[in-house]
Amino acid sequence: MRIRTTALLLTFLGILVVFNFAHTQNAPEASEKGKEVYEDSCAHCHGVEGRGDGSAAENLLPKPRDFTRGLYKIRSTEAGQLPTDQDLFDIITDGMPGSSMPPWDTALSANDRWEVVAYIKTFYDGFKESENPPKQITLAGKIPYAEQSVETGKDLYVELGCVECHGNVGRGDGTSAPTLEDSWGFQTWPANLTQGWNYRGGADTEDIFKRFIGGIAGSPMPAFEGDSFLNFGLTTEESKRLIELENKDEMTEAEEEESGKFYEKMDAAVDIALTIKEGGEVSAADIQTYNDAMKVVYEKSWHLANYVKSLMPAKRPEPAIGNNVLRSQYVQDALPPIDDAAWETFEAKYFPLVGQVVIEPRQFNPTIDGVHVRSFYNDTEVAFLFIWDDRTQTTGDETDETTGKPLEDALAVQFPVKVPQGPTAPKPYFLWGGRLPVYLWHWKASAPEQVTEFTAKGINNAEVQEAQGELKAQGIYTDGQYKLWVKRALKTDDKKDLQLEPGVFVPIAFSAWDGANGDVDTKRVITSWYTFVLEPVPSSKRFIYPPLIALLSVGFLFGLRAFVQRKNSENA
Amino acid sequence: MKKLSLFTICLIILVGSWVFLRFVIGGIISVPIPGSVIAMYMGLIVIAILVHISVEDSLFREFRRPILETLVDDKRRLHRRVLVVLIPLLLLGYTYSIIAQRANPPGSPRDAHPSPPLELTYKDEVIGTMQDVVNPFRHYEKDDPEAFKAHVENGRRVYHQNCFYCHGDHLDGQGHFAPYLQPLPANFQDPGIIPNFQESFFFWRIAKGGPGLPAAGTPWDSAMPIWEDHLTKDEIWDVILFLSDYTGYQPRTFGEAH
Amino acid sequence: MKSYLLASLTVLLACCFVGSVFAADSDAGEVETLIFPEKKYKPMAVNNGGTISGVVKFEGDVPEMKKLEITKDQKVCGAEEKFDESLVVGEGNALKNTIVYLIDVSEGKDFDKKTKLEIDQKGCRFEPHVQIIPLDTRLTMLNSDRVNHNVHIFSVINTPVNKQQTKNRKKMPLAAVKKAEGPVPMKCDIHGWMSAWVAYVPHPYFAVTNEKGEFTLEDVPAGEYKLGYWHEACGTNNEAPAAVTVEAGGTVTQDFTLKLK
Repeated sequence: MRIRTTALLLTFLGILVVFNFAHTQNAPEASEKGKEVYEDSCAHCHGVEGRGDGSAAENLLPKPRDFTRGLYKIRSTEAGQLPTDQDLFDIITDGMPGSSMPPWDTALSANDRWEVVAYIKTFYDGFKESENPPKQITLAGKIPYAEQSVETGKDLYVELGCVECHGNVGRGDGTSAPTLEDSWGFQTWPANLTQGWNYRGGADTEDIFKRFIGGIAGSPMPAFEGDSFLNFGLTTEESKRLIELENKDEMTEAEEEESGKFYEKMDAAVDIALTIKEGGEVSAADIQTYNDAMKVVYEKSWHLANYVKSLMPAKRPEPAIGNNVLRSQYVQDALPPIDDAAWETFEAKYFPLVGQVVIEPRQFNPTIDGVHVRSFYNDTEVAFLFIWDDRTQTTGDETDETTGKPLEDALAVQFPVKVPQGPTAPKPYFLWGGRLPVYLWHWKASAPEQVTEFTAKGINNAEVQEAQGELKAQGIYTDGQYKLWVKRALKTDDKKDLQLEPGVFVPIAFSAWDGANGDVDTKRVITSWYTFVLEPVPSSKRFIYPPLIALLSVGFLFGLRAFVQRKNSENA
Repeated sequence: MKKLSLFTICLIILVGSWVFLRFVIGGIISVPIPGSVIAMYMGLIVIAILVHISVEDSLFREFRRPILETLVDDKRRLHRRVLVVLIPLLLLGYTYSIIAQRANPPGSPRDAHPSPPLELTYKDEVIGTMQDVVNPFRHYEKDDPEAFKAHVENGRRVYHQNCFYCHGDHLDGQGHFAPYLQPLPANFQDPGIIPNFQESFFFWRIAKGGPGLPAAGTPWDSAMPIWEDHLTKDEIWDVILFLSDYTGYQPRTFGEAH
Repeated sequence: MKSYLLASLTVLLACCFVGSVFAADSDAGEVETLIFPEKKYKPMAVNNGGTISGVVKFEGDVPEMKKLEITKDQKVCGAEEKFDESLVVGEGNALKNTIVYLIDVSEGKDFDKKTKLEIDQKGCRFEPHVQIIPLDTRLTMLNSDRVNHNVHIFSVINTPVNKQQTKNRKKMPLAAVKKAEGPVPMKCDIHGWMSAWVAYVPHPYFAVTNEKGEFTLEDVPAGEYKLGYWHEACGTNNEAPAAVTVEAGGTVTQDFTLKLK
């Protein structure tokens, strides 16, 4: 028995070893087959000559990669290095979430994917010229995820200037976010670090670590090489001491000398690091110095990666489809205001938004990922809390060039005017109605305390209701996130309004605009119909009928017994 | 070993059948059976048992003997006491769970491929009857392969500038907007799509989009645009050529049959 | 047949449209570059070399300098008004930031190792705007601002650089490069308006014009040379470089007049 277990284990290990070999595979020589697969599956975006100018490229952002400059975002290699073949293979296999690059794992065989890797390398001569394999980032010495590590990483996040683009809490809303361009001059947005599902190269801690050390080539994301860190070359203790010395109003001569020595040590470490990068000769002692310095850097980088990991939920929230509907919770008293802790007591429903590509002008490159919604109601009113991330607060100071309308952030919540009765009854068209009208709440960032009621019979056919109901609204923008609170009476006198009743399933849909992304009018992000219900207070019948039935059954059993007994005695 | 009573055998058959349907077929073989179907099968089994025990008086007597014993016999006092508590408790729990269950939204009985109208139109122009219209460029496939290739290539361009956001790079309905649309975009790699419809059907679906669907297709949900507003007639025919050329599936034809 | 023609026409038109969109982009992205000698440059002692000097002037209506929009770190970056430095025209139409250089020199003096090669980031502006960097020499980035910058050099032939220089890092040397290239744009992505140019050069006969449009190339071995120039907004004379003859110990004057490209 034991022998068999050992044999099994060995086989398993063997498989692992083989798998690991497969894991560092190199692409074959470029072939006709690679060209054929490329032209059939890739060229429509990346262009026949690999310049990222295929017929689909026009409407895409991020743009499809231009392979002719050798700039690859997702690499396991150090700053300025080309990707490994495996890196290219992995990107083709897994795709790039949050962009238009799909995973090709099922559409192309592994063999075809390797052929494509070989072929795209022919677009850039650098692959031929480099004699040495690209230098990979070492992942040894990973610091496991822990609260203390996250705290340290948080300080580094500020110290290293991540906030400039990624913002205070990582929503990609840093003050530099609106002006970023990629190496081809196209606008690009910093990652919203709280949305791990949109990370192009995956959101594992190792992925974050690699992006951070190696940078994202072709984008504004720098590579945090060793000497980007404060006091590179000093140990943690030395670094602390130096900061302590520098914070003194006046240093004694001995202290001057001490700090001077620290500076010499740092200069020496930077010199060695640069010499290694330049391919110059270094002594064994220098390599030791360099490795010691890099150890500190790698530790810090793992802390930072752990911090970034802490910013995102474990997985992408599930869209509110099927039975996972938005249920408004009943409360007896007044509805909670926007900042009440009651909103945090249950999980929000998530409604992913997609670009509106049905009616011109269209939005092919959305920047708003989705809206999270919670709701409470009492006997007379209903309140909603809508939360969505937007990297920039735009309140209509700038206007759209083509329409002349102000560009501003906004949210519209859509209901049918009349709730369709039964599953086959028609709903209004999901894009702001058609033959059947929809009832809308329209909120704009320029008037955060106001929601306007609309009736619409089409995306370009919306009218402000003459009689505006008494809707209360409050909108707040902080750290790349909007919170909008809206309250309305369940019943109104206006025939054009939706009337709400507990237990009735109401279609609900959303539209959102990010002014900084050029969203205006039909150019926006949308959802199709979802479902909302004022969750009925559980019926009090549940305390009456079940005991009644139980009692009846007891009665029945005794009756049956009596009947049988009588029959038996009669027979006897 | 004591011989099992008829009642116990019937009970075992009932419970065994239910476990088989629910967990063996539904779980291990993983072909989930809807609750209503299981209920139907169970009903049949109950009827079969009733028929069996009512064939002969002796059988029926044998069947009811343990029941009667449990009800009155002094030897079965323990059984009786357990049952008189258990049965009402189970009923209590069951009725409570039914009453307290939260309601779920009604499903939408959507017809994914509803019947097309009799006439095929582009904007207001009548092209012909749905049954007779053929792709005007299809004949190039035989007559002029070069011209055919040009049309397919144009279809490819049209597709990748308009359709691939939802229908995907690989025409498998898995474009980057697709996961969050309801209903999901059509998957042209599905062998049940292209070979089952004429090209005129595809023209109709592309030209009129979601809003052009009859009520059975729930036109209010579909995000498919009205492409006659964006594309020319020829572009639509070209993109249809591309769909079948790329996937290798031939649309259904009736033309030859006439 | 008609529809077939129509379809082809559509294809053609679409191709033209897509083509034009991208052509426009690649034009904007393509930078006219310096011309470097094909042979490896051989340094040697130059005795009694000649001097080439001159003034570069701008011809045409001088456009008003575009004021840059300062979008962040106002205290440090917005203290003074900043202007687009792609065309700096001084008194008497003197054109600053023009590179003037010898195109076809194969041997001559060695680089002056003593000059410090620095670009300062001061008030969220690069100083100087155009920097010549000898091969195998490190450029040191200074940060006189107490704000974070990132040094982004968009090299194509050499390895591109994109490195964070935090507010605490006053001096940051960059790795030397081995291949002649340039001028290459340098940017700070954090402060999108910051812009400069660096040129990695194989020989020392390069000069950048000052406010008065003046340049001087000293210790040039006697001989005939082609004299080239490069300017960010006015382009190059790569098509027709100026011919100069340098005599031992003599001085040649070669002025240039540049127009917007």
